[in-house]
Amino acid sequence: MSDTAVLLPDQGQTRKTGRWLYAASVTLLCAWVIVPLYFLLINTLSAPETVNSFPKSFVPEFDLGSLTFFAGFQGMLTALKNSIVVAFLTMVMSILIGAPAGYALSRFEFRGKEAFRLLILLTRAFPLPLLALPLAVMFIRTGLDDTAFGLALVHTTLAIPFAVLITFSLFSGIPVELEEAAWTLGCTRLTAFTKVVLPLILPGITASAIFAFVISWNEVFAAAVLTIENRTLTAFLLQTLGEAPLHLKFAGGFILVVPALIFIFAVRKYLFAMWGIANR
Amino acid sequence: MKSLNALASAVAAAAFVASTAPLSADVLFWSTQARPVEEAQAMREQVLSGFEGGVDYQPNEDGPWLTRLNAELEAGSGSIDVLGALHGNFSAMNPDALTDLGDLGVASSSETFNGLAKLGTETLQYVPWMQASYIMAASKEALEYLPEGADINALTYDQLIAWAKNVHDETGDAKFGFPAGPKGLKHRFFQGYLYPSYTNGVVRTFASDEAVVAWEKFRELWQHTNPASTNFSFMQEQLLNGDAWIVFDHTSRLAQAFNERPDDFVAFPAPAGPTGRGFMPVLAGLAIPSTAPDPEAAKALVAYMLKPETQIATLRATNFFPVVNVDLPDDLPPSVKASGAAVAKMSASPDANPGLLPAGLGDKGGDFNRVFVDSFERIILGGQDIRRVLDDQKGRLAAIMEETGAPCWAPDAPSDGACPVE
Repeated sequence: MSDTAVLLPDQGQTRKTGRWLYAASVTLLCAWVIVPLYFLLINTLSAPETVNSFPKSFVPEFDLGSLTFFAGFQGMLTALKNSIVVAFLTMVMSILIGAPAGYALSRFEFRGKEAFRLLILLTRAFPLPLLALPLAVMFIRTGLDDTAFGLALVHTTLAIPFAVLITFSLFSGIPVELEEAAWTLGCTRLTAFTKVVLPLILPGITASAIFAFVISWNEVFAAAVLTIENRTLTAFLLQTLGEAPLHLKFAGGFILVVPALIFIFAVRKYLFAMWGIANR
Repeated sequence: MKSLNALASAVAAAAFVASTAPLSADVLFWSTQARPVEEAQAMREQVLSGFEGGVDYQPNEDGPWLTRLNAELEAGSGSIDVLGALHGNFSAMNPDALTDLGDLGVASSSETFNGLAKLGTETLQYVPWMQASYIMAASKEALEYLPEGADINALTYDQLIAWAKNVHDETGDAKFGFPAGPKGLKHRFFQGYLYPSYTNGVVRTFASDEAVVAWEKFRELWQHTNPASTNFSFMQEQLLNGDAWIVFDHTSRLAQAFNERPDDFVAFPAPAGPTGRGFMPVLAGLAIPSTAPDPEAAKALVAYMLKPETQIATLRATNFFPVVNVDLPDDLPPSVKASGAAVAKMSASPDANPGLLPAGLGDKGGDFNRVFVDSFERIILGGQDIRRVLDDQKGRLAAIMEETGAPCWAPDAPSDGACPVE
């Protein structure tokens, strides 16, 4: 009793410092993400003169001029729709292809496994501008050119290494005994997978889906070369923003960021659940 | 899980529906120009909306622009109808990839431009579309010091030097202004103005005896140049604050002066030397790739772009000037009026000798410019012997040309393979 009495103030002190440190790091991390986004928002909602002036105000003045400019921009909505379609296709395909590969890598021993893992990473070793020309030629010849599906194929290729590596580590984190127990209780390999393993890794799958989504959303070069009528938003907007006046750069950036933010916000539940798994 | 599957298949289905939707019949205009959002928007709303067939205007960076075009050419079928790009983009291409446009019946009013647009063949490979350039401008206070008999619209380098000297002698201040600052475009003056005017070349004649004369003349002019020029980058500033009365710069870098005080300044053509009035046109053109899906509509669009009304609308949208004879309306910004007239006089002058933007150098363009900037610094600022400096720099220039294999561009005579430094 007396021992604890002596220790308490010191412990309290440590805990207080710890909590303070914790709060400070949380604030810093949040600011790291939020402050740039906030400036993006302010400048999007400011008149051109304000954007170019200094110092910056912290209160937006709700001048909708820059946004109105883009509202009248021909083809924006179609491009937005195309971006979403391509991103979703990329998500679905990279999971459909990547998850089984991750499962195989984690559960089976086969010849050339290490080489296979390395090869998967190699798909990211070649810069797109190098691949775009032969790809475009092939796409034009096969009729895949200028389709959301064709572009999604390319983006899937870019996203698959992440899908495989993420799902590989997820599957490895789930004891094989769980599956074996399911087999003894009457499950086949497939039902054991769908009934036992899949529910456990669903959050992780979501995370790799988000990766796929973001990769597809951000990709410009292939999108600019492989689509004409069905342009994605990045191909449509990003190229024209480089030389634009500052206030339009901000507004364009804002328009590019918001849909991705909304998407990640919508699936955040699964993302947090995955971090739960990682902690265990 | 079920709902996820359902969602996935719904998205996939939607995507296939979207991807198989019928393509619109708009003419696809694939361009490297008018890229900034505002210009692209103005092109669509003010320039192309008047074309009957409907146009899909798509500005691109050079990389995707060329990659897509090459892919279509290689595949033998495509969706691009009309190409819009700079002369340098086209001159790097195989003329066979472009439809001959000689029978179209439209061309620019400048024979020089039409000659360039043939790309070394017998007939037009692209149609000149619009132009920008570097010009001279002067404060009206300087006009009274013009040497006797000199026509401001047809100056020679000797008259320019005499003019700058007069101003210097009479006012006590050196009032010629040259953009020799860190961000100034001084190298374009040597590549497109001084060298073509004195040597009728840029690369071949880099270290010729004529080049030595050119540098001697420039050294003379430098005696009457504001020594602070090594800090000047946008000559509109020095025009406005009076540090310089007679200046050389890109039209867009002079615009502010004319827009703020239109009555105080005049714009005029660059001077002429022994081998003509060297000037650097920034020339954009329109072409039709051999794979165009609808060549007739494409030709109609090219013809439409060359109409005087369209050219004026293009000028407002992009600040690039017409290549055909037009009566400019009165409500254009003062800078457009002043520099437009100067550019037109310069390119239509009988002794015009355009020195094109360097082409085919790829990422060595900066090194190429460096050769000229270094020569300037050693000869003019360092006062070194001209012959020695040029012989020194010649080696570096030759190395760049050999490494890139860039063929000669006008006014240098054409070359097989890399342009030689003679």
